[in-house]
Amino acid sequence: MAKNNVQYSKKQRRLVMQENIAAYLFLLPFLVFFVGFVLYPMFMCIYTSFFDATMGREDIFVGFENYKALFQDEVFWIALKNTMVIVLVSVPITCIFSLWVASAISKMPVAATSAFRCIFYLPVVTGSVAVTMVWKWMFNNYYGIFNYLGKDVLGILDKPINWLGDPKYALGCIILILLTTSVGQPIVLYVSALDNVDKSLVEAAEVDGATPKQAFWKIKWPQMMPTTLYILVITTINSFQCFALIQLLTSGGPKNSTMTIMYYIYYNAFKLYKYGYGNAMGVILAIIIAILSAIQFKAGQEK
Amino acid sequence: MKKIIALLLALVMVVGLCACSVSKTEETKPAETKAAETNAPAETQAAAPEAAPVEISLWTYPIGKWTDEATVSALLADFNAAYPNITVKVEYLDYTNGDDKVNTAIEGGQAPDIVMEGPERLIANWGAKGLMVDLKDIVPAGTYDSIISSCTSANGEVYEMPVCMIAHCMAINRDVFEAAGALQYLNEETHTWNSVDDFFKAVQAVYDAGYDYVGTIYCGGQGGDQGTRALITNVSGGTYANAEHTEYTYASQENAEGLARLYAQDGINFDTAIVASDEIQNFVNGTFQMAFCWNISQEVNNADALGFDVLPMAFPSDTTPSLQGGIWGFGVFNNGDAAKIEAAKTFIKFMTEDDAQYTKAVEATTFAPVRDVDGIYATNELFPEYSLLSPLMGDYYQITKGWTQARTEWWNMLQRVDASDGSVEAILAEMTAAQDAANAAAAE
Amino acid sequence: MKNFNRLDAEQRRARIYSVFSWILICVIAFTFLFPLYWIITGSFKTKQEILSSTPVWVPSDWVMTNYQNLMSKRSAPLFQLSAFGYTITGPTVPAAIRWLINTVVMSVSSMLLTCLTASMAGYALAKKRFYGRTILFSLIVCAMALPKQVILIPLLREMSALGLYDTIWAVIIPIVGWPFGVFLLKQFAEGIPTEMVEACRIDGASEWRTFTDVMFPMIKPGVGACAIFTFINSWNDYFMQLIMLMGTDKLTISVGIATMQGENSTDFGILMAGSALASVPIIIVFLVFQKYFTKGITMGAVKG
Repeated sequence: MAKNNVQYSKKQRRLVMQENIAAYLFLLPFLVFFVGFVLYPMFMCIYTSFFDATMGREDIFVGFENYKALFQDEVFWIALKNTMVIVLVSVPITCIFSLWVASAISKMPVAATSAFRCIFYLPVVTGSVAVTMVWKWMFNNYYGIFNYLGKDVLGILDKPINWLGDPKYALGCIILILLTTSVGQPIVLYVSALDNVDKSLVEAAEVDGATPKQAFWKIKWPQMMPTTLYILVITTINSFQCFALIQLLTSGGPKNSTMTIMYYIYYNAFKLYKYGYGNAMGVILAIIIAILSAIQFKAGQEK
Repeated sequence: MKKIIALLLALVMVVGLCACSVSKTEETKPAETKAAETNAPAETQAAAPEAAPVEISLWTYPIGKWTDEATVSALLADFNAAYPNITVKVEYLDYTNGDDKVNTAIEGGQAPDIVMEGPERLIANWGAKGLMVDLKDIVPAGTYDSIISSCTSANGEVYEMPVCMIAHCMAINRDVFEAAGALQYLNEETHTWNSVDDFFKAVQAVYDAGYDYVGTIYCGGQGGDQGTRALITNVSGGTYANAEHTEYTYASQENAEGLARLYAQDGINFDTAIVASDEIQNFVNGTFQMAFCWNISQEVNNADALGFDVLPMAFPSDTTPSLQGGIWGFGVFNNGDAAKIEAAKTFIKFMTEDDAQYTKAVEATTFAPVRDVDGIYATNELFPEYSLLSPLMGDYYQITKGWTQARTEWWNMLQRVDASDGSVEAILAEMTAAQDAANAAAAE
Repeated sequence: MKNFNRLDAEQRRARIYSVFSWILICVIAFTFLFPLYWIITGSFKTKQEILSSTPVWVPSDWVMTNYQNLMSKRSAPLFQLSAFGYTITGPTVPAAIRWLINTVVMSVSSMLLTCLTASMAGYALAKKRFYGRTILFSLIVCAMALPKQVILIPLLREMSALGLYDTIWAVIIPIVGWPFGVFLLKQFAEGIPTEMVEACRIDGASEWRTFTDVMFPMIKPGVGACAIFTFINSWNDYFMQLIMLMGTDKLTISVGIATMQGENSTDFGILMAGSALASVPIIIVFLVFQKYFTKGITMGAVKG
């Protein structure tokens, strides 16, 4: 529209102006918040990442020093690795698990479907802090329920395991808790996606002698692709954002085995006062997420 | 439905209004709007002619009962009786999140006016960053000579008005030790172990009596690391920092051997998921038979929950035990508002100058006073027992430069040791790595 | 005949599979419910029962001590309203009550503000042609994927410069600025036929009337979804609350409970009481409005 500006008559131009003004007036309330408290801090994040910023003195320009230091920081790489492990493990499991649960419960009577949907969604509404607290208790080395079950009931463990204090298990425990709090939404989405699948196509396929398995993968699955894509995106964002679990359960320990980028930013900012360094890390993380989202969107569009 | 909600709302509001009080807004705005605001109330407040109302904030770490609301309110009531114009808003911190909160608040431009803590934070941390006010003018000459050097920064400014001190010790579950026949390895009169070997024998005896968790080297975070530091340096006879407080020295052969011995001992476990406060709770509830992070305040605060006889002990040593001292006092943040700084100093003077008020302030900490006062803790039964350990207080090395970094390095080092094979070489390597990082921070 | 047999076997297998999945789903559902059960029963257990290494499945005697401890620990005024140099201070109540009130006020205000700004912006983005539309929309999409933690340091500095640090606004504003709601409602508004809007304009209605009388009623379901999302997200937005709030009378219930953890690390009784207090209200809200929740979630996805 803007390209053809020249050909517009005066009246038309006035109308375009009016439309623009109206649009921006409607956008104004949102833009105040969006530009002021999302875009501006993002810009400042990039800007400050080139400074040695700390508490109690003016920032000093250092160029790419923060980034250089970042790439030499062993803990950063560990944090990056852990973050990727969390994302790469929890996203596929969440998707597959919720698809399975959804397809199982969608065949049940309506009341059962909605009851189960509700139950799987509960950990989401319970809130990260409350969920974390109770899991902390269940994982406790001395009187947690897991050690009791493992040792006294099932007899798998001959010695209590310090779940959150053992570098071998800590990250696994975090992922497990993360999973329980993140499958709720995908299950709800898949149930409704399965409901919305074109029934006549499925019936037609069954008449033609297709097995339920074939019917699922050939007919239902392609129709659920948009939902799957959406779930992939939100679960990925969700897994990246996992912070409360780390902060309240392990503080990144033991031996940095649960250190994530998110917590490491917080750690650098509020324990070591390295604001510029923390911001540099934020920028890197944003780039990684942008790349990942782009890949997911591309993959989704091609299908 | 709507009617019920409306009714409920109305009820809540009526109850609320009946019980609420209307007061003038106190001075809370930043300095620039101050002049305009203080004028208005001053006109109507004829009672206090020259005292403009000031609001200051006091943030306390858990120092005895200084995070107990009732105790602190009583102390503030005393203060407000003398200075009705100064409102003190209190926030209570803990050792898990407290530092983060103060640091966030500093960055948020709302640092507290007064903070109650020890020199390791007031001097080595915020003081070194130039955020504190020099309190030299309110420290009376001569009174605090023995201790004031620990409250003074490298540039000669006093950032802390000391209030109380204590020697951090360890504690054992006397009942369990008695049943296990382990009391023979220690001296109940002097609260010391006969020797380092006897300490290990005692642990073995308790372990053999069926207790898996005798003592625990907690390293889930920095909270209460004075316990693990003192344990390791005393067992091995090593040092933590040099006498000049310029450099960390704990990566030594003897410290590594000491830690290796602890690592190998049955009944002494590493726990990388807990910090000192968890250790204390596990000791109090009988899960652990020893606590390495103990002092009189723990016994006072847990009096109700303790179901057994606690015996405070010095750390095991073959020479004289060297206990970690703790000093606590008030520091003032420089928030750029002269009136607030003045009010903060008034508050500190009020709490520390007069003997009777000072006694109250110190007794609220449950720790020992830093200057002579008569009749303090006259009715306290625990105090004499714990005072026996005070002469064993060692070097106050917590004001060594780079302390924040050094603390972080310490518990991370313990976590790595836990995951290692426990050999002296492996431990020494981890210690050296941690010490190098700490010394690098100290040199900055 | 052969064909029938095949179907028979097929059906039998399908039945076995469905019974099997029933059982498995029940077991998994139980493990999902269990933490909640553990929070609620835990909050009524005595210290001995909590610390027992053999779990006590049902408290033998339901004690209120944990709630009493939680309530007596810290106190704060019920509310504080200031205007014209006067402050109305409510009666002193247990801080946990104040935290709950703060959380409700915070979540509801962010919900209302978000719905208002997002529906207006969504409408403009979907139905108006204006300069910079493509750029703005791509910025919105990009910002959505970004975790908030990335901008925490500049945001904290900004809030403190504006004097909003340690006020409820420091938590509300970033939520309202977060563009998910706009994205959602833009998709909704796009589904509304443009002719309807144009017809209204031709009838001489003002821009604002067109929005309130035609557009808004049509995108109402979307606004509902947006409201639910924002409410849950802000109720559980632990991170921003942790960074931006400090004073005992300013905290929200999540941060309040997390603070209690710092003070009473392993006193799980008091922590469970706090967790119950933090989660039960929102769970009740969820159960009551369950239908709308699921609808909102699915609509958000279908349109998004």
